[in-house]
Amino acid sequence: MRLSDREQDGVVILEPKGKIMGGPDASLLHDKLYEFIEQNKKKVVIDLAEVDWMNSTGLGILISGYTTLRNTDGELKLANVTEKIQSLLTITKLVTVFDAYESVDEAVKAFK
Amino acid sequence: MSLELAKTLLFFLTGAFLVFLAITITRDNFSNRLNRVTGAMLLFAGLGPIFVALGRMVDPTAGAAAGFQESGSYALHYIWELFFPSLLLFAWLFPIDRLSGFRHPRLRYLIFIPQLLHMVIVLFFNSLINALDTLRVERAAEGLSSIILTPLAKVVSVLYLLVSFIRSYEASIFGVVNLIYVAAAFYFLETGKKYVTNPRLLTQTRVVLWATRIGLGVFLVTHLGATILPYDVPEGLKSFMMIMAVASGAGIFIFATIRYQFLDVRLIFRQSFVYSITSALLVGLYIILVVQSRGILQPVFGAQAQIVSYAFIILVLLFFQPINNWVEELIRSLFIRTRTDHRNVIERFSRQVISLFDPTRLRGIIDETLKTTLLVEKVYFVLFDDEVEEYALLPSEDNAKRVVLGRDDLMLRGINLLDTPTYSHSLTDYREGSSLARLLEERAVKLVLPMKDAEHLLGFVALTDKAAGYSYSAEDLNLLGVLSNQMVTALINARLYVESLERIRLQEEVTMARQIQLDLLPSSPPDIPCGLISAISTPSRTVGGDFFDFLPLDDNRVGVCIADASGKGMPAALLIAQTQAILKSEVCNGNPIDVVLSNMNQQIVSSSSSEKYVTLFYGELDTAAGNFAYANAGHNYPILVRATGEVELLKTGGPVIGALPMMRYRSDSVQLRKDDVLFLFTDGLSEAMNSKEEEYTEERVRQYVATNKDCDPQTLIDRILQDVRLFDPTYPPRDDTTIIAIKVNNGFTVHEG
Repeated sequence: MRLSDREQDGVVILEPKGKIMGGPDASLLHDKLYEFIEQNKKKVVIDLAEVDWMNSTGLGILISGYTTLRNTDGELKLANVTEKIQSLLTITKLVTVFDAYESVDEAVKAFK
Repeated sequence: MSLELAKTLLFFLTGAFLVFLAITITRDNFSNRLNRVTGAMLLFAGLGPIFVALGRMVDPTAGAAAGFQESGSYALHYIWELFFPSLLLFAWLFPIDRLSGFRHPRLRYLIFIPQLLHMVIVLFFNSLINALDTLRVERAAEGLSSIILTPLAKVVSVLYLLVSFIRSYEASIFGVVNLIYVAAAFYFLETGKKYVTNPRLLTQTRVVLWATRIGLGVFLVTHLGATILPYDVPEGLKSFMMIMAVASGAGIFIFATIRYQFLDVRLIFRQSFVYSITSALLVGLYIILVVQSRGILQPVFGAQAQIVSYAFIILVLLFFQPINNWVEELIRSLFIRTRTDHRNVIERFSRQVISLFDPTRLRGIIDETLKTTLLVEKVYFVLFDDEVEEYALLPSEDNAKRVVLGRDDLMLRGINLLDTPTYSHSLTDYREGSSLARLLEERAVKLVLPMKDAEHLLGFVALTDKAAGYSYSAEDLNLLGVLSNQMVTALINARLYVESLERIRLQEEVTMARQIQLDLLPSSPPDIPCGLISAISTPSRTVGGDFFDFLPLDDNRVGVCIADASGKGMPAALLIAQTQAILKSEVCNGNPIDVVLSNMNQQIVSSSSSEKYVTLFYGELDTAAGNFAYANAGHNYPILVRATGEVELLKTGGPVIGALPMMRYRSDSVQLRKDDVLFLFTDGLSEAMNSKEEEYTEERVRQYVATNKDCDPQTLIDRILQDVRLFDPTYPPRDDTTIIAIKVNNGFTVHEG
């Protein structure tokens, strides 16, 4: 997984690319999130458009990000959830937990 | 004549050998005071016999006469007495340095005065006594009545008497003085020995003491016995015994000094031997030629016979080198290498460490090698500790307590830049605020040997001065450089070995964990009256994150569970073991399924981080009535294939367990009928992936189960696994795979609800 980030209207957009799996990916995303939390930037959208695959560990990373932000009064939203990830969220019944949007713009808009 | 010549040669050979040794030892490490003092001692001891030999060459009868009347070069041999103050100086320096504590170090040279005085007396005695005599006679002639000159006359008279007295007893007086010097040196050596801890240095001190004893004994018997006591020893025998005293005493002494102090003993011995033997050979040849041919040459060349001698000396100089080489070759074949020879040290060290994998023993061998071959007083090890990921001063023979160093220690960074053995005083730039610098200073560390693997500093060895305050020679530093390279190799080997042991141990632990995990799984599926159950669980690694379980609830009901922890391997296995235990206790409490799941969720949330979760499906089958109540916590939908081929998915439940607190779960139930197949699996099956990165997919699982619904459950499992293997030949999977298949064979008496 490669991870880039940008900001849009005061919302942090994280853009992981490739496969979200275990190992270094977890700490990469985790550290990035903390970096923003420390700057008091706690509105985060993860843009999953370029994520082609995610295993159970990868989903764990998302859950962890979600919990971390929620525990610091922040919020995590997902955007551009691919079909594969959508089905994963459906099976695990985490669709009810994560706010998922069709585009980044919509996710950002939802923060207002 | 030939006996006399042999004696002269013996004198010369002994003297030359000592002088050459003196030069070699001084040159070996001129900056070291001990080397200089040892050198001076040997030089003086050697000059004596040389001058005797030279005196005998000039006048073969010299030495036969007793007393101070001899003159010229023979009398010069008294310079050898300077050996005694040098010996005393040596005893002040060895084996412990007492000189550095002196407030006025230069005063130590005062001890040379008696022997210098003796030399002056012997050399200039005749002219002195003549001068005094003349002066006395002159004064007497001018008349003793002269009042002004009377005191001067008295002084001259007293001086005359004093010199006459010394003249009579010169040999006895200075014999006693020399004896006192030897005794004092003996005393200092003996007392210094108590402070020696290094075994090699202790041996050296013992040998030096023996050398002193032997030298002293022979000296007493010959020289003092002959001069103080009134018995007569022939002068020839006396000088021979003196030579023996010097040769045996100084010989053992030299042996001890070289054997235990210098590394390349072979080189030093060889050089000194070769030079002295070669020069003795040439000088002997010269003497024979000159003496024998004098009678022939004199009449032929007349006054120019002298020129022939000079020509011969030039010839000798020309031939010195080739003859020297020849003698050296000869000696090389005769000498045996010793343990302290540089090459032997390296060879022995590498032989010892190449098969040594225990880091503690390795440090022990480094410690021993440095102490025995280089006489290093104390050795400290600072190594990178993989466990705490910090550098630490390790406990060793010389260091009781382990001290962990700060990662950013300035001195450590300084040492990181080094490549070769370096004196710690040259690292002053890195001292500021460094706790390492303070540690090294407290331990009087002089030399630092960095051990680097490419650019990574594995650690370093810190050395104090050598025992008895010897400093390191250039050869020592070279040797240390080579040794530290070998230490690096040995350390890396040892570390790899420890790592491989660690891996084996871990592997064994994992194997044991695997066994525990297998024991946690039901050994066989339960017998149910309404049909057949089969189950299989294959971990992708030795241990897995999947589990299935069958829990007997009462006579008619059996609990069925399949679960998959996020992640793989050991962490997943631990999470799954916990889940399994909690499930059992919750089910035993008799809670309804939805409560079981939400209780489990709460417990696991509170005891694990949120990225660790479990997908779990739990159902309770009424084997008499065919009712199957269940709740699905985020698990892959189990497939219910009806006898008609219709497929139902068991979805009802809630989110995965352990990820988020306060989750609610709903339960549902289905009525099973004859020939229905219930197929539960984990994503290892549906997500099996072929080389084109295509997944097997849940859809394909459903189709396959639906198509093969008439098989018994074990056959169904075998076939679908076979099908997966066709799809992905690299199967067994990259993820854990677990399957439960339940086939209903009988109809139920209870009417369908």
